[in-house]
Amino acid sequence: MKDLRLERDVQTETNKIEARKVQVYYGTNHALKDVDVDILDKTVTAFIGPSGCGKSTFLRCLNRMNDTVASARVEGMITLEGENIYDPRVDPVQLRAKIGMVFQKPNPFPKSIYDNVAYGPKIHGLTRTKAELDEVVEACLRKAALWNEVKDRLQSPGTGLSGGQQQRLCIARAIATSPEVLLMDEPCSALDPIATAQVEELIDELRSQFSVVIVTHSMQQAARVSQRTAFFHLGYLVEYGETGAIFTNPKDPRTESYITGRIG
Amino acid sequence: MTTVPPITDAVPSAQAPRRTHSLFAPDKRTAARNAQESRFRAYGLVAIVVALLALVWLLFSIFSAGLPAFRQTFVEISVQLDPAVLDKAGNGDRAEMASVTTIGYGKLIGKSLGLELAAKGIDIGDMTPKDLVGMVSENAAADLRDMVLADPKLLGTTVQFTALAHGRIDGYFKGRVTMETAVRDNSTSPEKLMLADKMVAAGMMEMRFNTGFLSMPDASDKRPEAAGLGVAIIGSLYMMCVVLCLALPIGVAASVYLEEFAPKNRWTDLIEVNIANLAAVPSIVYGILGLSFFINFAGLPQSAPIVGGLVLTLMTLPRIIIPTRAALKAVPPSIRDAALGVGASKLQTVTHHVLPLAMPGVLTGTIIGLAQALGETAPLLLIGMVAFVRDFPGAPLSGLFDPASALPVQIYNWTQRGDPGFVERASGAIIVLLGFLIIMNTAAIILRRRYERRW
Repeated sequence: MKDLRLERDVQTETNKIEARKVQVYYGTNHALKDVDVDILDKTVTAFIGPSGCGKSTFLRCLNRMNDTVASARVEGMITLEGENIYDPRVDPVQLRAKIGMVFQKPNPFPKSIYDNVAYGPKIHGLTRTKAELDEVVEACLRKAALWNEVKDRLQSPGTGLSGGQQQRLCIARAIATSPEVLLMDEPCSALDPIATAQVEELIDELRSQFSVVIVTHSMQQAARVSQRTAFFHLGYLVEYGETGAIFTNPKDPRTESYITGRIG
Repeated sequence: MTTVPPITDAVPSAQAPRRTHSLFAPDKRTAARNAQESRFRAYGLVAIVVALLALVWLLFSIFSAGLPAFRQTFVEISVQLDPAVLDKAGNGDRAEMASVTTIGYGKLIGKSLGLELAAKGIDIGDMTPKDLVGMVSENAAADLRDMVLADPKLLGTTVQFTALAHGRIDGYFKGRVTMETAVRDNSTSPEKLMLADKMVAAGMMEMRFNTGFLSMPDASDKRPEAAGLGVAIIGSLYMMCVVLCLALPIGVAASVYLEEFAPKNRWTDLIEVNIANLAAVPSIVYGILGLSFFINFAGLPQSAPIVGGLVLTLMTLPRIIIPTRAALKAVPPSIRDAALGVGASKLQTVTHHVLPLAMPGVLTGTIIGLAQALGETAPLLLIGMVAFVRDFPGAPLSGLFDPASALPVQIYNWTQRGDPGFVERASGAIIVLLGFLIIMNTAAIILRRRYERRW
């Protein structure tokens, strides 16, 4: 555990997302039980836990992607800046523009690199002119540390990039709608160590503008990139707190077993 | 929770006996398995060869019987349009000129032909002008009459008229009629055939490409030489337009709704099963439905391409919906997640991403469905498209309500006729139908290649 960045001071920012007593059911299966989490602004929050513990399920609750699963049912309350996102008045489409998402497997649209990034701003009408759109695309690709690699071939297909480049393209696409929160569901699990390092560096930079929530199987990664860590086990949120505290001085014996590799 | 049971390795108790066989000599089981595999390959090869032989035989029989339909014997005659015969009143009034029937024109043709043969020094023996008329198609007199009535100024002049040769004469040059059969034939005689040979030598009669086969309407039982596919091609074209305009949007909309929007419950399951079953319903059932609904209930005209198109639309719909749904299912869910993740609405996700990716499958399904509809005969028989139609339907859209024929029905119709000339016509029409099907399938392949994208 040399990678721990214990020296990094965690700024206590305001709560961006508050979850209270969140329950998720898939049909009769109670997948997530009584989850209470406060996600801070301008902070990287990592969700760790063994497979099937409900961390991805909880992540998908935060931008209501679970709505697309017919059998899923969510109870409890999740608020984004004080507004309940499961309120009937909330349009999930609008919510997802505010809470962007990057998926496990890079999934660029089978369109050009430019169109991939420009798609979000286009459908939300964020830009008025082509020049503005060009600027947004360039800015997002720069933020995603991809601009220098693709600036000469913006019109070539996004699916032709390498895996790491594709994932950074997906990050560029997600931040193009200027979201407030960026959800990442195991963004590095399909990438090699070099691409992983690039994406992790990127996550650290994105923290200055967004609140980032990342699900990861790699505890080293959680320790490297996050300030807060939540440990999920069997549908329960076992422990949540500052990353350094979780990894060095876990309060719950289950957390200790997991981070020392004895369960999971 | 904290204590994990120690891992103990299970030791297998039983072990398979080890073989003591050389690798160079196959053991019994291996030899048997290899023999089985080579037998299977042989069966496959035999199946392919049988299928290919059947295809070759089919194509050979169709083309050998049908290709002559694209060539036709024509007679060049210069006809003197005698006003004394054709315009008895002498005032050039069309209504009065129309009282001269095709029999009058036929006599004129016979006389002109006799004069021309005499001028070329061809001996006609004891053949009368009436016999000479039998050299040309019965349609020739009607064509000449139409020509004169369309332009009465031609009266009194001598026009160069290209007449179709009589079906038996044409058959003689195609090898269908011989001197022996002509002896027993009421419609022709050996003298006529011998005269035909002389006319060919004198350059008055020749065989050339028959554009009329594709442009002329159907003709009666006695005139196979004048029968063409014009009305049938237009009727089929109209019907395909109706099917394309209705079945493609309705089918794609239904597929998108069922696949992307509809809740998955007992009702949608029922609909799904029913659509799959509808694709297997015999086409004649759709004909009965069309007869009772579109004609008897809705009061649409019989034999009209609009009714044929509607019936074929019903038949084609499940055949478009099934491949379209399969194509939509094949689009990876990650693309939907990606679009929803950046805040696209459900409809935007479908129209911007899912449908374009499914397009090759949709187009292939549509064209295959259209090709099936083009070749469908049974439902059209029931809605009266088997009728004898000589008038071309009008231009769309009102033309859709005029009586017309259809290619497969025309083929069916011609195979019922007595004159052997129609065997050739029916096979020729099959070649035309196959040609259209090949064009449509090629289009399907090209479109699929063009729209195919990787993700």
